[in-house]
Amino acid sequence: MSTESSRRRWLTGMAFLLPNIAGFLAFTLVPLVLSFGMAFTDWDMLRHNMFRHEPLSFTGLENFVRLFRDPQFWRDLGNTMFLLLGLPFAIAGSLGAALLLTKINGRRQAVGPALVVATLMLVASGLVLLRGGMAEQGVWCLFGTLAASVLVAGVLSGGTVYRTLFYLPNFTAGVATYVLWKKLYNPHTGPINFGLASLLDGVSSVVRTDPRVVGYGLPVLCGAVAVLLVLWQLRRLWRRWDDADTGTAAIVAAALTLAIPLALLTSWQGWSLPVAVGVAALGAATIIVSTLRRPRPWGKTRTLDTGLGTELGLALVLIPVLTLLVGGIILGPILPAQAAVGIDPPNWLGDYGWAKPALMIMALWAAIGSNNMILYLAGLSNIPPELYEAADMDGASPGQRFWHITWPQLAPVTFFIAVMGVINGMQGGFDMARTMTAGGPAGATTTLSYLIFIEGFETGRLGYASAAAWVLFVLVFVFSLLNFRFGNRDAND
Amino acid sequence: MNATPPSPPAAARSLGLHGLMTVLSLAMLAPFAWMILASLKTLAEAGDPAWLPRSAQWDNYLEVFRVIPFLRFMANSLVIAGWVTLLQVFTSSLAAFSFARLDWPGRDRVFFLYLGTMMLPGLVMVIPNYQIMVRFGLVDSYLGLVLPSAFTAFGTFLLRQFMLGIPRALDEAAEIDGASKWRVYWDVILPLSRPGLVTLAIFTFMGNYQSFFWPLVMMKNVDKYTLPVGLLFFDSEHGQATHLLMAAVTMSVVPLIVLFVFLQRQFIRGIQLGAVKG
Repeated sequence: MSTESSRRRWLTGMAFLLPNIAGFLAFTLVPLVLSFGMAFTDWDMLRHNMFRHEPLSFTGLENFVRLFRDPQFWRDLGNTMFLLLGLPFAIAGSLGAALLLTKINGRRQAVGPALVVATLMLVASGLVLLRGGMAEQGVWCLFGTLAASVLVAGVLSGGTVYRTLFYLPNFTAGVATYVLWKKLYNPHTGPINFGLASLLDGVSSVVRTDPRVVGYGLPVLCGAVAVLLVLWQLRRLWRRWDDADTGTAAIVAAALTLAIPLALLTSWQGWSLPVAVGVAALGAATIIVSTLRRPRPWGKTRTLDTGLGTELGLALVLIPVLTLLVGGIILGPILPAQAAVGIDPPNWLGDYGWAKPALMIMALWAAIGSNNMILYLAGLSNIPPELYEAADMDGASPGQRFWHITWPQLAPVTFFIAVMGVINGMQGGFDMARTMTAGGPAGATTTLSYLIFIEGFETGRLGYASAAAWVLFVLVFVFSLLNFRFGNRDAND
Repeated sequence: MNATPPSPPAAARSLGLHGLMTVLSLAMLAPFAWMILASLKTLAEAGDPAWLPRSAQWDNYLEVFRVIPFLRFMANSLVIAGWVTLLQVFTSSLAAFSFARLDWPGRDRVFFLYLGTMMLPGLVMVIPNYQIMVRFGLVDSYLGLVLPSAFTAFGTFLLRQFMLGIPRALDEAAEIDGASKWRVYWDVILPLSRPGLVTLAIFTFMGNYQSFFWPLVMMKNVDKYTLPVGLLFFDSEHGQATHLLMAAVTMSVVPLIVLFVFLQRQFIRGIQLGAVKG
C-alpha cells in the first residue's frame, strides 16, 4: 500500500466526515475547552458585560474550593443522587411491563370472556349514568367505558394497544408532563389529593378501631420481611463469594443494598450524620475486604447466573423494597396518633420531604412505558426458547426461570439502560425544577443542573457555574467508568 | 386466532392478565383523561376537584389562540426541530458512511473518540455555548437554536451501526461498475439505510420539539419562543389558567401523535436498533 493511496483514502474519509465533525468541533469541543478555562476564572456578568470590561483574572482553584465549601452544592448533589434512586423503580417498572406484554403475546386470546366482561362494564357504567346523571357519577361512567374499550382493544390486538398506551407519556415528555403533573399534585384542586383524602379517611378509621395492633403490627411485619430479605441477600452474597469471579463487586452491591435504604430514611428524619458515618464505614470496609481477600482473579468460570449484572440488578430492586419496609417500621408507631386527628394527604410539591418523592413518582409514570420498555421487549424476544424448555424439563419454578434465565439474558439491556439512566439522571432535574417547583421548597428539588442554570444564567457567575459543571462532568465520568468496569462484563460477552 | 378455543383455566388466566393490563393502562391514561377534561372546564371550575366540567367549553381551545400566539410558538418549534433533524440526519449519515464503509488510517481511533463524547454532559457546554452565541450575535435567532443541537455523535453512532448491517457486496458491485464514493453513498447506502434514517429523524425531531433549556435561555423575543417555553405563559406568577394550559398542552402533543401514527413500525424497530451493541 503506497502512502499516496493511503493519503487519498484519508482525504476521502475526512471529506465525508467534515460537515459533522466541523459542527461537532465548533459546538462541543470548543465549548468544552472554553468551559474548562472558565472554571478557573472569576468571570462574572456583573463585572464583565457589554458595558464593563474589567479584565478577567485567573483564580486557580478558587471556584472549586468555594464550591466544595458551599453547603448548597452538597445539598444539590444530595438531591441529584436522591432523584437518581428513582432509576431502579423505573427499570423494574419497564421490565415488569415488558414481561407482562410478552406473556400476553405468547398466550391464546380469551376473546369471548373479555367481550362478556367488557359488555358488563359498559352496562354498569350506562346504569350509573342513567341513575346519577352526568354530575359526580359521570367520571365513573367514563372510566368504565374507557376500561371496557381498552380491554376489548387489548384482547383483539393481542396486547399492542397496551404497549401503545404505556408509551403515551413519551409524547408529552418534558414541559407538558411537568405542567400536567403540577396540576395533578395541587393539594387543593388536584385529583390526586382529592382521591387520597377519601382513601386516608378510610385508613384512619381502620386504625382507630384498634390502634395498638397497627402501631406494633406494622413495624413488626415490615421488620420481619426486611430481615428475611437481608438474610437472603447475605446468603446469596456468601455463595457468590465462594464462587469467586464477581465476589468483590457483589459485595459492593450488597453493601449498597443494605446501606442506601437506611441512609435514605434516616436522613429524611434528620439524623444524617451517624448514617453518613455508617455508610462511609461500610463502604470502606467493603473496599478493604475486597482488596484483602480477592478470591480468584476475574476469571472465566461463569455459569448462566453469575456476573455482576444480576447482582447489581438485584441490588437495584432490593433498595426500593427495603426502603418501603424500613419506612413501614418508622411509620408504625406514628400512625395511631395521626389517625386520631385524621391523616391528611401530603402537600406533595409544597412539602420538603415529599417534593422529591413526588417528582420520582411522576418520573416513574413516564418511564414505565418508555423506550426502555421497548428495549426490554426486544431483549425478551431475543432469548432463545431452548433455555426455557431446558429449565422446564428440570422443573424450574417461575421465579427460578426469571432469575436464572430471563434476568441474566437481559443483562446487556439492563446495563445499557442503567448507564444511560445514570448519565441522564445526573444531569437531570432542571426542567422539573424550573417548571414545577422553582427548586423549592427550601431547595428540596434543586439539582446540580438547576444550580448550574442559576449560577450561569441568573446570577451570572460564569466561572463558578463552569466549575460546578466540571464537577458534574467528573462525577458522570466516574460513574460511567465504574459501570463499564463492573457492569459491562456480562453485557459485552 | 386459534382454531381450538382455549381451555377454561387458560382463558381465566388470560383474562386475568388482560384485566391487569387494562388497569395499568388506565393508570397511564388517567392523567391524560384529567388533562382533556380539565381543558374543557370554565375558569371557575378549574379550581374544582370534580373531574367533569358541567358543560364542555370547546371555546377554550380557541381562547388559547387569542391569549398566546400559539400557532407562532408551534411553528417555531416545528421549524427548529425540522431543521435540526434535517441537518443531523444529513451530516450524521455522511459521517456514518465514512466510519462504516471507507477505510482510512486512524478511522477506528477517531470513531472511539467520537463515541466517548456521547458521555459528555450537555450541561458543561451550555454556558460557553451561550457566550459563543452572544459573541456571534446569534442569541434570539433560529440559527443559534439549531446549530448546537445539529451535530451529535449519537446520530453518527446509530447510523454507523445500521450501515454495518448492509451487505458489502452491494457497494463493491457499484464500485466495480465505476461508481464514485459519493455515488455509492447517495445511490446505494442511503436508500438502504432508510429505516435507520427515519429512526434518527424521529428521535431528533421529538427530542428537539420538546427541548426546554436551550430555547429558554436563548430566546428573548416572545415571537421566537418555542412551545415548551410558551406554554408557561399559562402557569406564571401573573396568572394561573389551568383550563387554557391544559388545552394548549393537549394541542401541543398533536404533531407528535401524527408522527407516531404514520411511523409507528419504524419507530419501534428504531428504538431497538439504538441498543445494538458496538
